[in-house]
Amino acid sequence: MALYIVEADCISCGDCEPVCPTQSITEGAIVFKIDKRTCTECEGDFDVPQCVKVCPIDNCILPLEA
Amino acid sequence: MNQDALSRELALRIGLAARALPDTDAKRLLAVLADCTGMPMTESQLANIDLATLKAAGQGEFAKVADDVLQQALDILKNTASEKILPAVQPYEEGEMPNSVRIACASDDAIHVNGHFGGCTWFMVYQVNSEEARLIDIRATDIPAGLVVDDKNIYRAEQIQDCKVVYVASVGGPAAAKIVKLGIHPMRLEAVASLADIISQLQQVMAGSPPPWLAKAMGIEVSERFKFDREAVG
Repeated sequence: MALYIVEADCISCGDCEPVCPTQSITEGAIVFKIDKRTCTECEGDFDVPQCVKVCPIDNCILPLEA
Repeated sequence: MNQDALSRELALRIGLAARALPDTDAKRLLAVLADCTGMPMTESQLANIDLATLKAAGQGEFAKVADDVLQQALDILKNTASEKILPAVQPYEEGEMPNSVRIACASDDAIHVNGHFGGCTWFMVYQVNSEEARLIDIRATDIPAGLVVDDKNIYRAEQIQDCKVVYVASVGGPAAAKIVKLGIHPMRLEAVASLADIISQLQQVMAGSPPPWLAKAMGIEVSERFKFDREAVG
């Protein structure tokens, strides 16, 4: 269980990076990316994923199909 | 690109400004202006000319002209007079320009991106691809009399809803959020720049490697565009 950033929609605003409780978000070569090994979808920290909450673009951060 | 169209407007303004000055034709004014800016003359150079510069230029050619008359001529030159010169809008058929995006620029003088999103006089709307840029519409931002609008900024954003990007000199946070909600990407400039400069910058990005969201707006398959980059990164 983890989230991923849709590359074609990410505008590289960087708003998601500081709100991640597990520091799973980093700026990649093209756009920001989420480390699927450490992303918890904020479970245990928050009710809703914080990156999804602050992302200005709809449907830009989605759950990885497991 | 519309470099030609732009200099046509500039020529027209120089002609009109010359007419505002006593015993001056366009040639005389142009010579004095060229002394301030050098040739070729750009809009941003022209924007930097103030009353004192104009008075001193051309060995004091206009030194004896009254300040208010000179100021009037300057206003015409910079398109800040009450009667403004607008560039001609060019026809555009949907699909005519491959891999193009539509952009809006907030402007108060139809020369620069110098408008605040919530306060600019016009949105200059261009269709741009890496080779061509066409001014396809100039949208006034006044709310028509009798129309009740709950939120001015939403109304403004709706006027440019067909655009993918809006360039502004400034925009407030809540307004920016409303713009993004309508699927428009707001771009705030660090400093005022001419419309022509902004468009040529965008064209360079489009011709090089546009960021994925822009490539998507251009209708380019992102996977094609970035395949090699991704392989290189691993």
